[in-house]
Amino acid sequence: MVPQLSWYLALSAVLFTIGVVGVIIKRNVISMFMCIELMLNAVNLTFVAFSSFFRDVSGQLFVFIVMTVAAAEASVGLGIIIAIFRNRESLDVDEASVLKL
Amino acid sequence: MTALLFILFAGLAIGCAISMVAQRNPLYGAISLIGVFISLACLYVMLAAPFIAAVQVIVYAGAIMVLVVFVIMLLNVEQEERSPTRLRSLIPIAVGLSAILFAEAAFIIFFVHTSPGTPTTNTSDIGLTSSIGAGLFTSYLLPFEITSLLLLMAIVGAMTLARRGGLLPPGAAIVPRDQVFSKELLDRREIGDLMPVTAHTTEEAERLLGVSREHHLSDHE
Repeated sequence: MVPQLSWYLALSAVLFTIGVVGVIIKRNVISMFMCIELMLNAVNLTFVAFSSFFRDVSGQLFVFIVMTVAAAEASVGLGIIIAIFRNRESLDVDEASVLKL
Repeated sequence: MTALLFILFAGLAIGCAISMVAQRNPLYGAISLIGVFISLACLYVMLAAPFIAAVQVIVYAGAIMVLVVFVIMLLNVEQEERSPTRLRSLIPIAVGLSAILFAEAAFIIFFVHTSPGTPTTNTSDIGLTSSIGAGLFTSYLLPFEITSLLLLMAIVGAMTLARRGGLLPPGAAIVPRDQVFSKELLDRREIGDLMPVTAHTTEEAERLLGVSREHHLSDHE
């Protein structure tokens, strides 16, 4: 039995759901950040599955660009996290609900 | 056989993802997330996308997670303490949203039968590095260039954000009741008996200069 397209889509939906739940219930900024990475990866899995089943290379190019955006997001996000930690001595998102330092 | 492999890697991915959300220590969560990335890379290989699988391991499991682990260790994050959560009302919302998404997944599994047949075999050139490169540099050239600009902006933004000291340069010397000069511009012989002091943040400089924030506000009114 060969894995169908729907299997991959279901796995992607499950991973995305876990990421959403993590973003909602987590309070540590770094944990929320990692849950966002998980959601991006779930979307990447969808792209690659469609690309492979429809025999079109565009999906994999989108994955490439999504990975670049994720890398940029990682650098800027971690810079923001370091700045927040330096100013508030805490990584709790509830502590950082005001943009003003 | 491939179905067995799919179930193995999918189970590994879901298990690692749940473990990541359940962990209280961010470092263990990061290691679980690396497990998710590795099993997703194995799934990409099964989907005949070896280039994406390699990039997944190198960029995600390598670069990005090293950055995250580095920041976790740099900030010395302790265990997330179990405090009375103020967002307890969000828990039912989270459960409801996840139920909706799981229902969507179940709908896809049981009711969508119009999916195309089999994935590409290994003889196909979709997913090889050459076809991805050809697509990237012909029809998707503009997004590629925009991506390079985005990376440049990310570099500059990260450097600006993570810099210590705000507006003042790191070694700024401040003479009380006088102007702020950087250390290179300040001529010690011109100061006389005033003693130069060093401030690392804008607040410190304001305090040393005698211009506090409340003073500004009262001036404004």
